[in-house]
Amino acid sequence: MASYHLYTSVTVSKNLSVFLSTFLMGLCLLALASCESKPAKAPNQKSSYTIKDDLGRSVTLPTQPKRIMGLDAAMTEMLFAVADTASIIGRTQNCDYPAMALTKPVVNNYPMDYERLLTLKPDAVFATEGIISLEVAAQIQKMGIPVYFQAFDSVSDVLRGLKDLGRILKRENQAAKVVNSLQQKLQAFSKDTAELQEHPKVLAIIWKDPIYVFGHNTIFTDKLRYLGADNAVSEVMAQQSPALTREYILQLNPDVILGGTFEKYDKEFFSLYPELKRIKAYQNKRIYEVTDDLMSRPGPRVIESIQELKQVLR
Amino acid sequence: MLAVVLLLVFGFFLGLKVGSIETSYSLIWEALTHYNSEDSAHYSIVHLRLPRLLLAFLTGASLAFAGYLMQALVNNALADPYLMGTASGASLGASFSLFFLTEFTVMGLYLPPFFALVGSFAVTLVVVILGSRRGQLIPSQMLLVGVALSSLLTALVSLIMFLSDSESQLKSVVFWSMGGFEKADWTNLGYPATALIAGLIIFQFLQKHLSVLLLGAERAETLGVEVGKLRWVMLLAISVVTGFAVAFSGPVGFVGLMIPHVTRAVLGITNRFNLIFCALAGGLFLVLCDILSRLLYPPAGMPVGIVTSFFGVPFFVYLLRRKNYRFS
Repeated sequence: MASYHLYTSVTVSKNLSVFLSTFLMGLCLLALASCESKPAKAPNQKSSYTIKDDLGRSVTLPTQPKRIMGLDAAMTEMLFAVADTASIIGRTQNCDYPAMALTKPVVNNYPMDYERLLTLKPDAVFATEGIISLEVAAQIQKMGIPVYFQAFDSVSDVLRGLKDLGRILKRENQAAKVVNSLQQKLQAFSKDTAELQEHPKVLAIIWKDPIYVFGHNTIFTDKLRYLGADNAVSEVMAQQSPALTREYILQLNPDVILGGTFEKYDKEFFSLYPELKRIKAYQNKRIYEVTDDLMSRPGPRVIESIQELKQVLR
Repeated sequence: MLAVVLLLVFGFFLGLKVGSIETSYSLIWEALTHYNSEDSAHYSIVHLRLPRLLLAFLTGASLAFAGYLMQALVNNALADPYLMGTASGASLGASFSLFFLTEFTVMGLYLPPFFALVGSFAVTLVVVILGSRRGQLIPSQMLLVGVALSSLLTALVSLIMFLSDSESQLKSVVFWSMGGFEKADWTNLGYPATALIAGLIIFQFLQKHLSVLLLGAERAETLGVEVGKLRWVMLLAISVVTGFAVAFSGPVGFVGLMIPHVTRAVLGITNRFNLIFCALAGGLFLVLCDILSRLLYPPAGMPVGIVTSFFGVPFFVYLLRRKNYRFS
């Protein structure tokens, strides 16, 4: 009996020491891993200046960035419209426009591939508000790469954004050219809609379950304004793309729904939510498909997006 | 008991009043007694708010009932209806369909609940097979297998979330995993209702046996309860009732753990109305949580699982701190 006790206490202490030493080794490894590495020196930081981006963050940029990149599809389109395309050194997995973007090396942005980004040695990277998180931006800044955010709540924000990029990249003339041509087209839309009789309420559905839509405080509302139409969601909510209940949509009673063809919506959306068949858009079969990228990416193709909306609404 | 019923009636009227369209109690009464399908307020009250409230009630009642049985089955105060991996199986099933199947409906069948049901039953079956020996359920082993499997399945759901390539898809999965009643309609209330009512009737007859089981399996055997058989019936009831509740509402947490304790604290351990009270109280709790979620975060309401924990935990802790409460 005594020997049994002795045996168990020896085994217990053996096990305990094995456990403790493993635990301590683990702790040491953790400590090593969490040692903060010094931020990498950003290239070309000889002459730099500090400005505020659209989020009011202070960003220190090189006076003439030579190696730049957009961290999301909308920003890549913005950069290709203004920058010298040779200075754009990469794209993300979602950037597929313009065609030339496809020739650039890919950096994954979800989850962000920091190592790959670092190997491309950008002087500065550009991001769109709401797509890239501030947390990710902070991590990139730690590596010594400045992150400049742009925010687009309206069509004029896109024009302003293009001009800002022109200034930052020392490409003012190119930016002015693009902006002027966009402005002329916008004026044409405004003239077009001046004598419109109907002002349809349009609901743009992003996702069916739960039902996410383009909220009021989005560029979508502003695009509709050029066409004399209204976003069916007139209330400003906390989220840019709020989730709506069936009851709320019944109350909105939109004239038009965007998100897919009538046949597709009849089969999928309205079989999932048969109560919504009472709304005008369904009764009058005014349910249309629009190009996802044009809807979801604020950028220089905003005119194409308005053009497409005009086609489906008329 | 009477207080719970009165509160329920009040809760239902309040729930019918809260929504995007302004409604008065007289309008609600009118919609319920002289329904006019052309009136959009009437339509909302009868076809959207009422099914939603009923689904909230049925889910709460089902989970509380299943939780009561589960705690008796494994004789453990921490047991809840999801112990056998029901919730994680359902989550995995629903997440799978939301992620891999672009079509939400096939031949009019809405897929996520269907997959959730398949997932929950499949996992329960595995836990039962691994948690029994020679046809005898071993509660302690079942409990451990359930917990282990749950964590594996939760990891798989996390993997699906990680692989989601769109924010909306991710939100779908997350939204589902936190529970909600937005998709309630008259056609899908029948399943959980039938399962719950059948369960309540069967166990009202077995009420005495349940109370004895809380004294421990050996004592129950000596008092003439066929513990082995009773356990199998309980297990079947728990999995069916929980499976249907989870399939339509997502895994709402905390109700199944908390409400059985509330029941025993209020009525005692051996009261013959325990199960009915437990179901009513569970239903009432979720109805109130759903109303609160819509008031706090209009119009869609926040996932109800957040609200249940927020308001349930403090109350639960207060209850446990009361000196005279004992589990068994």
